[in-house]
Amino acid sequence: MIHLLGPYLLASALVGLGVAGIAARRNAVLLLVGIELVLSGSLVLLVATQAAGADRWAAGSVLPLFVITIAAAEVVVALAVVLLVFRLRGTIDLDAPSAREDVS
Amino acid sequence: MTPWLLVGLPVAAAVLGVALRRNDLLARAVAVGLGAATLLVAVLAWALADGSAVSAGPGLRAGELAVPLDLVLDPTRGALAAVVALVALAVQVYSTWYLETDDRYGQFAATVSLFTGAMLLVVVSADLLLTVVGWEVMGWCSYLLIGHWSRRAAARRAALKAFLVTRVADIGFVLGIIGLAAGAGSTSLSAVLAPWRRPTACIDAALADGALAGEALTACGAPDGALRATLLVLVVVGILGKSAQVPFQDWLADAMEGPTPASALIHAATMVAAGTVVLAALFPVFADSPAARWFLGVAVAVTMLLAALLAFAQTDLKRMLAWSTVSQVAVMLSAVAAAPPADGADAGLLHLWSHALFKSLLFLAIGWAALAAGGTAAMALRGSAAAAPVLRTGFLVGFLSLAGVPLVVVGGLSKEHVLVTAWDGAVQADGPGVLVLVALVLTAAVTAAYSTRGYLVLTAHVRQQPTATGVPAVVHGVLWVLVLLTVFGSLVVLTGSFAVHQVSALWMLLSVLVIGVGVAVALRGGFDRDPAQVLARRFVPVADAGLGVDLLYRRVVATPVLRLARLVAFVDTEVVDAYVRGSAVATRAAGWAGARLHRAERPSAAVGLVLTGVVLLGALGVLAWS
Amino acid sequence: MTALDTAFAASGVLAVVGGLLAVTTRHVVHAALWLVVALLGVAGSLLVLGAELVALVLVLVYVGAVVVLVLFALMLTRAPIGPDLAHAVGPWRAVGAGLLGLATAGLLASVLVPLADGSVSRAEISTDQVAEQLFGTWVWPFELLSLLLLAALVGALTVARRPDPGGTAS
Repeated sequence: MIHLLGPYLLASALVGLGVAGIAARRNAVLLLVGIELVLSGSLVLLVATQAAGADRWAAGSVLPLFVITIAAAEVVVALAVVLLVFRLRGTIDLDAPSAREDVS
Repeated sequence: MTPWLLVGLPVAAAVLGVALRRNDLLARAVAVGLGAATLLVAVLAWALADGSAVSAGPGLRAGELAVPLDLVLDPTRGALAAVVALVALAVQVYSTWYLETDDRYGQFAATVSLFTGAMLLVVVSADLLLTVVGWEVMGWCSYLLIGHWSRRAAARRAALKAFLVTRVADIGFVLGIIGLAAGAGSTSLSAVLAPWRRPTACIDAALADGALAGEALTACGAPDGALRATLLVLVVVGILGKSAQVPFQDWLADAMEGPTPASALIHAATMVAAGTVVLAALFPVFADSPAARWFLGVAVAVTMLLAALLAFAQTDLKRMLAWSTVSQVAVMLSAVAAAPPADGADAGLLHLWSHALFKSLLFLAIGWAALAAGGTAAMALRGSAAAAPVLRTGFLVGFLSLAGVPLVVVGGLSKEHVLVTAWDGAVQADGPGVLVLVALVLTAAVTAAYSTRGYLVLTAHVRQQPTATGVPAVVHGVLWVLVLLTVFGSLVVLTGSFAVHQVSALWMLLSVLVIGVGVAVALRGGFDRDPAQVLARRFVPVADAGLGVDLLYRRVVATPVLRLARLVAFVDTEVVDAYVRGSAVATRAAGWAGARLHRAERPSAAVGLVLTGVVLLGALGVLAWS
Repeated sequence: MTALDTAFAASGVLAVVGGLLAVTTRHVVHAALWLVVALLGVAGSLLVLGAELVALVLVLVYVGAVVVLVLFALMLTRAPIGPDLAHAVGPWRAVGAGLLGLATAGLLASVLVPLADGSVSRAEISTDQVAEQLFGTWVWPFELLSLLLLAALVGALTVARRPDPGGTAS
């Protein structure tokens, strides 16, 4: 027996922390940390739905796997972009002025 | 059509007078000529009046309210109209001389005409709406007349004070009149009187049949007593204001800043006496409400004695006459307050009639004397009656009348009638009769004392006799006419225009006794000294300041009202406007913040905005969905 | 409060504290390491919820691969040892971000908490069932995903490749 309040609150808290991180960080790499936290919140929610017995086709286990895979792919591409930007501009500060002109 | 002519002539004179104000000669001709025509019409109307004749007006309907705008003429109203027209004519003739060099004579004459028309409208009105119209026009005209010499600050202040005080009291008057008219569904006087009267006969019959009091009242459709008392008290408040009774008494003495003919008009025949006319018209209802009678009775009892005492100690004789007016108007109103319901208020109207004659005589005479002596203070006026024979006679007759010496002059007889009425009221013991009677007797003594004082001061023997030069014969004529009417005016009782009882010899004896006491007290200092200086030296400065009521008005009414106004203004500008200004400030701040965010095109700012937008949209969705 | 609840609460607290520090710390490397702690906490929670496979994959892929990638990226972008003062943000921005996070968490909680009506018995899904479903029902998305991974691999290489100094590509 498990109470569902815990997973739900944990998911909310993780998403909230992730959003706060996305909004607060200027470092492009650390922005990804926030995104990972938001995604992990969604994992908790999906698995909690499965634990409550409310899923079909084992979606509660399969979809988290998909999410993890997509997140890995996203991180790979994002870090590639970050490296390119760092190489071109010498900084990964998101607030650096005229970012658009430098990249193009 | 006579009543309409009666009102229309002075109003036409006013309109013409304003149009012709640049030409003194034409303005004079219009004012005097139409004034004489008004007097002629009024006397004819009085002579021809036989019973009560209602002349229908242009009837209006305002929703559920019928407004017939009727006028009515009966012998009593005819007599009052005649005396009003007479005094107005006397004032018009007098002011052609008195204001000869005044550059605004035209406006003055036109205002006097309008004032007369308004008073005549109140006198012959059979419709409460017309009464209110006349009442308000009089208030406005009094403001104009008192402030005629508007280049002087004191005159401006006095005019403003008179206007404000009477306007404040008029709130009660208008509310009361509206209440009475709304209760009856009509503004016609007869239609208003009927539903507000106590159906005494019906109630008595029901009680005789053994019904309970409450059932009898319901069955007879009796009006709500408390409501009636409230409405009548409101009306009485307005009348107290217009007639300068306690607690509104202070404006009338200040109104002496106006030209003397205007004072004569305001005091003798029009504004301050109008309250008596209105209350007499409402008397059948008024008599049924003991609360309203007591309210009026207490106010006038206090006023008549207080004003008489103040009059005695004034250093300025014109102000003395003003206070005596307050006292005499209180005497008129006391007859209304104390009269037994069966008798009617005609004793008060009779006193109004005689007061109009002798007070206009006194004012016009003192105006002349002041012009000859160069001031209205008692010291300056000392012995000034010697300037002309008519002045000496006029003062003698006028002050005798004011003191109320019976049979000799007009004022005496009418005061006897008031006394008898009060006695009847006191005997019946349903109203403030006893209180009024006591106040009347005391007032009679004090009045006799200050009349003696005035006469002594004005006719004192002085070495340098003032002379009146250049006074036209017509002014002499006006004063002589007024003197004659003051002496023989009491014969009006014989015409039966006023429904009053006979006065017994016992009453006359009694009042002669009271007057004798007053005169004897005044003569304690001998014939050559001012009795006020002998008897009430300490009281004189206090009386000159009107007991400091002006200061009281300022402390109790003006200052709190001003504070309230400031508070309201503060709330308006700082609290209500703050929201309006706040929206502007908020918009500007939002614009500034937005501009700052956009200045550098920062990606993180965009991310923050997008996230905020998503959260807000989500919140909106949750709120709408749940 | 059952033993499962207690275990979940412990791992949940670990995840939240780790996440909080990962978001707030000023040391960039510490942020990545705290993310590891947070993800381990999440994996624990998933274990308690009965999804062993997901928890394992989470640890393997995230902790083993993603976080290592992040650390590499930090090193390649010359992250400083100690506090990252170059990317410090002002107090207003920190407060605004905190409020935004709170609002998001509150919004989600307000939707989710009413759905939690009491304790439920954990639904047991075995790994066999998951495998069956994954290669049965979900097989097409699974194959698409492999394509996606391939595309991401090639794309990342193309983007991150050092430009050819000879300019042969042009």
